[in-house]
Order: sequence, then C-alpha cells, then structure tokens
Amino acid sequence: MAIVEELEALRASTLAAITEAIDTAALDEVRVRVTGKSGTLTAYLRNMGQVAKEDRAAVGKTVNEVRKVVEEALEARKKSLAAAELEASIDAAAVDVTLPGRVQQLGTRHLINRVSEEICDVFLGLGYTVATGPEVETDYYNFTALNAPADHPSRSMQDTFYVRDLSGDEAAVRGESDVLLRTQTSGVQVHCMEDQELPIYIVAPGKVYRRDVADPSHLPQFTQIEGLVVDKGITFGDLKGTLDYFCKTVFGAERKTRFRAHYFPFTEPSAEVDVSCGVCHGEGCRMCKGTGWLEILGCGMVDPNVLEMSGIDPEVYSGFAFGVGVERVACLKYNVPDLRLLLQGDMRFLRQF
Amino acid sequence: MKVSLKWLNEYVEVPADLKAFCDRLDLTGTGVEGVEKTGAAFDHVVTARVVGKQPHPDSDHMWVCKVDVGDKNVDADGNPEPLQIVCGAQNFNEGDHIVTAMIGAVLPGDFAIKKSKLRGVTSMGMNCSARELGLGNDHDGIMILPEDAPIGMPFADYMKLGDTVLDLEITPNRPDCLSMVGMAREVGAMYRSDVTLPIYELEEDASLPNVADLATVEIEDPARCARYTARIIKDVKIGPSPEWLAERVTAAGARSINNVVDVTNYILFLYGQPLHAFDYDKLVGEDGKAHVIVRAAADGEKFTTLDGEERVLTNDMTVIATPKSAVCLAGVMGGLDSEITEESTTVLLEAATFEHGRTSRTSRNLGLISESSMRYERGVDDNPIVDYSAAAAALLAEVSGGRVCPGVIDVYPVHTERIQLTFRIPRFCQMMGVDVPRADIVDILERLDCEVVDDGTDVLDVTAPTCRPDLEREIDLYEEVLRLWGMDLVEPTLPASPNRVGALTESQLLARKINRTMTACGLNETMTYSFTDPSDMGKLRMSGEGLGEPVELINPMNAEQSIMRQTIIPGLLHSVAYNQAHGVKNVQLYEIGKVFFAHEGRKQPKEKERLAGVMAGSMFDQTWNATPAPFDFFDGKGVVESLARELALPKMRFKALSAEEAPHLQPGRAAAVMSGGTTLGWVGELHPLAVDAYEATAPVVAFELDVEALAKAARPARDYVDVPEFPPVSVDVAFVVDNEVTNERLVQCITSAGGKLLADARLFDVYRDDKRVGVGKKSMAYALTYRAPDRTLKSEEVEKVQAKLIKKVCGATGAEVRG
Repeated sequence: MAIVEELEALRASTLAAITEAIDTAALDEVRVRVTGKSGTLTAYLRNMGQVAKEDRAAVGKTVNEVRKVVEEALEARKKSLAAAELEASIDAAAVDVTLPGRVQQLGTRHLINRVSEEICDVFLGLGYTVATGPEVETDYYNFTALNAPADHPSRSMQDTFYVRDLSGDEAAVRGESDVLLRTQTSGVQVHCMEDQELPIYIVAPGKVYRRDVADPSHLPQFTQIEGLVVDKGITFGDLKGTLDYFCKTVFGAERKTRFRAHYFPFTEPSAEVDVSCGVCHGEGCRMCKGTGWLEILGCGMVDPNVLEMSGIDPEVYSGFAFGVGVERVACLKYNVPDLRLLLQGDMRFLRQF
Repeated sequence: MKVSLKWLNEYVEVPADLKAFCDRLDLTGTGVEGVEKTGAAFDHVVTARVVGKQPHPDSDHMWVCKVDVGDKNVDADGNPEPLQIVCGAQNFNEGDHIVTAMIGAVLPGDFAIKKSKLRGVTSMGMNCSARELGLGNDHDGIMILPEDAPIGMPFADYMKLGDTVLDLEITPNRPDCLSMVGMAREVGAMYRSDVTLPIYELEEDASLPNVADLATVEIEDPARCARYTARIIKDVKIGPSPEWLAERVTAAGARSINNVVDVTNYILFLYGQPLHAFDYDKLVGEDGKAHVIVRAAADGEKFTTLDGEERVLTNDMTVIATPKSAVCLAGVMGGLDSEITEESTTVLLEAATFEHGRTSRTSRNLGLISESSMRYERGVDDNPIVDYSAAAAALLAEVSGGRVCPGVIDVYPVHTERIQLTFRIPRFCQMMGVDVPRADIVDILERLDCEVVDDGTDVLDVTAPTCRPDLEREIDLYEEVLRLWGMDLVEPTLPASPNRVGALTESQLLARKINRTMTACGLNETMTYSFTDPSDMGKLRMSGEGLGEPVELINPMNAEQSIMRQTIIPGLLHSVAYNQAHGVKNVQLYEIGKVFFAHEGRKQPKEKERLAGVMAGSMFDQTWNATPAPFDFFDGKGVVESLARELALPKMRFKALSAEEAPHLQPGRAAAVMSGGTTLGWVGELHPLAVDAYEATAPVVAFELDVEALAKAARPARDYVDVPEFPPVSVDVAFVVDNEVTNERLVQCITSAGGKLLADARLFDVYRDDKRVGVGKKSMAYALTYRAPDRTLKSEEVEKVQAKLIKKVCGATGAEVRG
C-alpha cells in the first residue's frame, strides 16, 4: 500500500507545514504546493487512472480524506493568521488622538451683525418683516416727521453729521443743509408708514451716526434696530409683552424686565426698558452699578402726531415703537470692554465670535 | 436737579424707605442719578472748645491752641489730651466754642486735613471758618458757636445737617419738576398724598414811594418776553445769609453768596422761577428813574457779563437794558455793571419769562448754561410770576432788613391760557390694555393740579395747569395716568392681529447666503467706518470715474473722516495693516456695506451695497500635517467662484483687466467678474504701491462686488441634472500651447469638440519647462470624462471622440499633444 502510505506521509508533512506557516502568504504557498493546480495532492487525484483497479477505492478514499483534512486545516490556519494580521495592522495604525484634527478653517460673523440678525430673527418669529432705509437721510425723516422740535439740541452741528446738499435747495431747518447722516433708524418707520399698507409690523436694523468722539463707550458710527407696529387695537400691554418676550429670548428666560416711564418726542406714553442684571440677578453689583437693572432700550406708544404726519388716523390705529442699541446688547452679552474693538478689524477679536 | 429730602419733606411726606422711594421715582419717569448723604462731608469735624491759647513762638499772628474735643481728645503720643492746633484766626478767645476739623477730615473742595507742622509746631487739625465748611462766605474768622454748644459732637449732628440729596434726571418735557414745589406735587401724585405749599405774606411799606414812581418797564418784542415784573426793595443790608437759607441753597447745589443772591436762588429752586436782582441805583437815569427795556441785542453789541467776560451778542439774543446800555443778558446772566455788591442798598427785583428757543440758543452759543437758562430753555410759566416775585420780596425783606416799596410793575403782553382737554376713559383703558378705576384717574389728574369735571359719563373734562406745558393733548393725560398709576401693573400681552406674516425679502435672503458662503470660505466678517479720507481713492490708485462725486460731511470729526466712502477696500486695507503691525500675518476679512455717490442736483446720494474682501498671508499657519499655500490671485478668485456657485450665477467669466482699466490692481493678476455681459465687480491682487500706501505688506488679494448686481444675476436655484446611471470613461491629455493661450480658450475648444459625450474637462496640471516643453510654451493637462446617459460607452467610441477632440483643439490653438 505504497500510495496510501505516501498519502499519509503527505498529510502529515502538509499539516506540519500549515502549522508552521507564519503568515497568509506562506500559507498560500503551502496551499498552492499541495492543493493547487499542480499541487502534490492534486497530482494523486489526476493520476487515479494509473492506480491498480483493486486499490482504487482505498486510494480514492484516502486522497479525499487527506484533501478534506488539508483544506480544513488551511482554512482554519488562514482565519487565525488573518485575524492576527488584522490585529497587527490595527496596532500599527494607532495614532495619538490628541494630535490636532484636520480643520477646515471657517470664517466668523461680526459680533454686531450676528446679534443684529439674532434680534431680527426673534421678531421674524413674531410675524415682523425687516425694513431698511437710506443712511444719508433728510432732516424731515430723521427729525421733523418724528416730532422733534426745530431747535432740538440733537439737531445741532455738535450732535449730528450734516452732508453737503447738491440739490441747490435752500436749507429749511438748519444752516447749510437739510441732508444728514441718520442719527437713528427711526426714519425707516416714517418711510414704512408712508409707503406700506397697514397693518405694519417691522424691525429696521442699520448703521446710525452721531458726532461722538470714539472712546470705550462711544462710537460715531453704531448700529440700531428700530421696531414699529401700527395696527388696530394695539395696546401698551402689547408693547410690554413684545419687549418682555424679546428680552427673555435674547438674554435668557430667567431674566426679568421693568418699564420705567420716560420721555421721547415720537412716542407717548414712553418708557425705558431694563433687564435684570445677569451677573447679580438683581442684587446690585458693579456691572449694573448697584441697581440690579441694565438699561436695554427705549420704547413707547407711537405719538398721534407722528401717525397723523404719515397720514394714519390715530383714532383708528394705534401702535408702538422701540429702538435697541445693538452694541449695547452685544456688550452686555459678551462683556466687550471697549466699543472701538468693533471697528478695528483685529483678527484676534473677530475670530472670537 | 438736586432735591434735598429734608426740604422736600416740608411740603409732602417723603417715604422712609429710601431705596423704595428711588425705585418709584425711577419707574414713574424721574431718574435717580445719584444719592448723596450730606453731612458725610463733615466726617471727623466736631464741635470743640478752646482750652488754651498761646502766641506761636515763631510767628506774630498765629496761635498755638489747646482744643478740647471731648472723647476724641488725643495728643501726638496718643494720650487723651486736648488737641494742639496752630490757628491763624484772631476772632476767638480761650473758652470759646468752635468747630474743629480733626485729622482725616475732608472739607469742601477736597481739602484733606492732615497732621502738619506750622513753623515748627505740630498741629493736629484745623479750626474752621464757615466758608471752609462750605456754609457761607464768612471767612473773617473761625466759626464761634453759642456757649451751650456741646463738646466733641459730630458737627453734622450738631447742625442737623444730616440730609439726603437726590440728583434727579428731569426729562425735557417737565420744566415743572425743576422746582421743589413741582417735585412735591409729583411725589404727592406718585403716592397720592397731600401737599402743603409754603405761604409768604408780603408786607409793603406804604411810607415808601410806589414802584411805578421809581421805575418803568417796556417790552419791545412780546415774542421774546411774555411777562416782565419788577419790584423794588429799599434799605437792603447785604450780608451773609441766615443758616437755614445757606443750608437750603447749598443742598440744592448752589454756593451761598450773600442774603440777596441766596434769596433769588432759593426762589428759583423753590418755584422754578428765575429771578434777577439789580442794584437799582445803577439803573437810575438822569430823570431819577430806572427805565428797564427788554429788547433784542444788536448784532455785534458788546456786553460784559458778571463773570467779567466781554461777550459779543447777536440779534437773536435778548437783553435787559436801560436807555444807555444793556444790563443783563435776558434769562442767561446778569451784567457786571449792575450787579449787587456789598454797597448796594436798593434792589430792583426782576421776575420774568423769556422765550425758550432764544434763551436756549443764547446760552449754548455763549457756553453759558446756568440754573436760570436751563429753566427758561424748558419753559417758565408766566401765570404765577407775580406771586413768586412777592414771595421773593417778602423773603428779601426778612433776611436783609429791607423795606418793600408798594406795588409791582407788571408788563404782561402774552398770557398762556389753560388748555381744556377731554379724557375718554374707555379709550384710555383700551389703549393701555388695562382697566384703571375711574376714581384713580380723577385723583391722579387732580393731584397734578388739573381741574377735572366728572359728570359720570365716559368722558372727563380736564383743564391742565399752565405749569405743565407738556399737557397739550389727550394722549399727554394718558401718559400721566399710566405712569403714576403704574406701568408695572399692565399685563403683558402680544398683539392679537392675525394679519401679519414674518418673512425675509429676496435680497435679505441673498445677504444671508452671501454671509454663509463667505464664512464657509474662511473669511471673517468685519465692519469699518463709513466715513473716510478724501485722499483714499488716490492712495488706492482707484479711479472713481463715472461713479459720482464723494459725499462731503459739513462737520466731520476730523479730516481723515470727512467724506463718505466710495469703496470698502481702504477700510479693509487699514485693518490688514493693523493686523500685520500687531503680528497677525494671516488676514481674511470681508465686509458688506454701503458706499456713497453724490450727484449734482440730487439731494441724497446714491447708496450702493458692496461686498468686499481682502486676504493676506495664508489661510492658516503650518501644522503638523498640513502646509498652507500663501494667498494669491486664485484664492480671491476661488471665493468669488464659490459665491457664484451658491448664488447660481449664470455664465460666469473672469476677464483680464489691464493696468489702465484697474490701476489699483497688479497688472496680470486682475480680473473683472462677469455674469454674461454684466460686470459684477473685480478680483485681483492689489497693486503693491497701493498696499504700500496703507502701510500694509503685499501681496493682498482683494475683491469688491456690487450686491445689487449679484442679486439681479442670481438665480434661486440651479437646474436639476440626472444623476449618472452608467459609468464614465476617463482619459488624460496634455496640450502644449503657447503661453498666450488661455485656459478659457482651451476649455472652449475642448468643450465644443467633445460634444455631448464629454461630461467634464478638469485641468489638473500646468507645467512649464524650457527644455522639456519649450521656450514660451506651457503644458496644460486635462482629465477628460466621457459618459453617455443611456449606456456604458465602448472604448472604440471614446477613442474616436478623443481623437477628434485632439485634432480640433490642436487645429484651433496650435497645440501639440504631449507624449
């Protein structure tokens, strides 16, 4: 039974080779040598015809047995080698996860525009639209139509920037020109009342200009958001509810508001709105100068004169208006110590927001 | 407005809880700007008694005193012995009761008392005069207290000076609150408590000539002066004020000067009625009478105010004058020549009202803002003037020993009438969104001195007092009732109207899209000044031709900010320079903002919204696994291309700009940004000379686009294209062309030759090498992608198209295919 013995020997040597294969490549060599097309075991199968008839059954059985055992051993060894190799490659691929990631550098929005957009979004949610107007305004829209007396100090050359009027018109109100850099976005109110269908629910964000020397708490150019509602049946309660909602959304639901009676020429009754101090929660601290409150905005019911000047019947319609200083809100939210930082374009400042 | 609570309390009950009172004032519209406890200034100032007085060994006019300050006695060694004080006053004797400022005291004028040596003798404090204590003008010697004065008592307690003075912000519509009486009325209405006002009985001396025999008054222009009254007080003895008077005017923020001036100030603070006291004898003319004329100043008229300054007047100003000369700048300041002096004996007392606008302009133009001008500027009630003048005369007689001449001259050409108003209770409640009880409404209005007729209907008839010029319309009364009843009691609601929709307009949505794209491209939004330097366009080498004139400010803050900007770039360049100067090399900034162009014949300029960006350095600093490329033209162009993609701008083109077309850009690195035939703006590297002019370091890549043009060109979305179903075939090809042949030209040829099957041509390499490619040549390598929408392409098909493409491109551009 030489063949059968040969086969047994082949089995033993192959199994030994499989066990000894150190990686999948070596294992594959064994596979090719034994069970490949011209492998040693395959040769037996191929040469079956030359085996003596009486031995064929026994040889065939043995060949098949050996093949089965070898293939199983190959498979098992392959699995274990593959697992080991994967593990090794994973180990090798480990990185220091504290190394910095590959960051796509995103740009940033300017603090003031970010806050301004945030405020507008609050009012969009309340059903307002966003209105805009020119930055170079006429005296009429900036002052007269807002009930400001002709000799009001805010109209003086000390407080308001006037620009050269190229129309050739005689200045009606003050000195050389009736054209100015708007000192408030309130003029947009007037344009809206003249041009829009009622009811009106608008906010008007934008740049405004006043003749202040730039210092930590003043800028000659800053940002305001004016709000205006004109509708039937608008109440002072509606003004309170709206601004209360605004303050809580922008500053936090736990903050309180209070309305202090005040005076503005274009609203009556008028009020200033304070929000409770976020640092001391009303106890009084340095931030709020001991009062527990921070002044946020001015507001009031639209003065009937203002409605009338814009052709709206104050007996039928009422409304409220408010003006928010965006810089003020931004500084309170982010503790910016010096307003001049806002116009410097310092990357180290801009990239913080 | 400074309000002494001790004084106020005489007319109306002031709540004991100071914080609650201040809060209530704040909420009802009188802002509390400061709370000052007076008497605090007298810390370490005590009553004392002189127990020893020896001549100073080294001085012929100073004394070395031993001063007993009771339980506060301490000598230089810390023993409880009377204080040794060196004193220069001559008006005291041993045993006198005096006032002593001990070490640590800070007297008015920030005068700190320290341990000192005077000609070699240690002094442990100072014996005080009334003036040193801020209590009067008397500085002839130290203050001598009565013999029964205790020793060692805090001086503030002794004088009952303990007072709280509130500094109140009075809004410009409330002239009435610039007086103690007005504040008492306000507090009475706040707390619905009763107010008791002071009463002054004037006794005229019938033995004296009538005022009319001593003086005349003429108002030339009633538009300038609605009422002018004069009284005359004779035999006045000018001297220090009694303590109560000095205390009052001091608490109100004035300095005690003498009895006459203090009375005029007292009445001003009490009633809000400015007064002026003239030295009558200096007004008297040749006929023995004083002729007072209220007239316009002549343009150029010169007048010396009592501060000794000569002022040049204008016709807009009003003066009080004798036929000879002006004696007072009406409502603002008296004249030096008619001022009350120590020698004055007869006082002509003016009580008048002057038009507010002129007074305001006069005081502002001359920089003379006084307690009087401030009140005239806001409006002084003409009705009670005679009563206030009588009160002043009565008080003057009382404190100066003077006698009041019978009668008053009262020229009163313009009367302010009381205004009749209605108050519709239901409308008020509807508009405020709260039901205020009728009784409260009536009570509040009455406490404000309104006359209210309540006949039980919905409408009240209200007559406003003339001291309240702000109560002109029904809405003005609503405000009063709401603020005094309590804004805090109104329930917050939201408008009930269903007729509104909150939405952004297309241009606002576009602006948000631009912002998102810019930040996604790594640019940081900034904001720069809208005003700029007139030399900017020149410095930038930018041509402003055809755009319009600059908008000039008439009153700029400074020359560098005297016109409105015509481009955003200078502001951004300043920021680049600022960052570079502060060690920040990588700068990526953008701004959206207006630029301004004026046109002859137009009132307002054209305002155009621009988007501008600058990039200097690189996107980030070298990291362990990435090396950034320094910014160049293509970074700016890339940003614009990303924007074009996000805004779906059709037919984008970049057209090279020549040095003449764009002098502010570096030639060869400058392009116009076009969508079809419309120019949207430009992109390029700023000219090195322009960058240098702003003290920044080149290269600076920049772009500026017109937002309106972007909005016009933008499409809401790109069209849908089927997602490919069949696989593509990719072939690379490199064309060697002359340097002048542009990518645009090659792509045009490739695209037109490639036909429908060519899906994409991506430039992946540009290569120059004199030896391998040839002098003046470049190799442009494209990855071409072929695809059919309905089948997998066969390789023969692709080869055929590719061969045709190569032939056409080479034919059209003179290219050769690189092997």
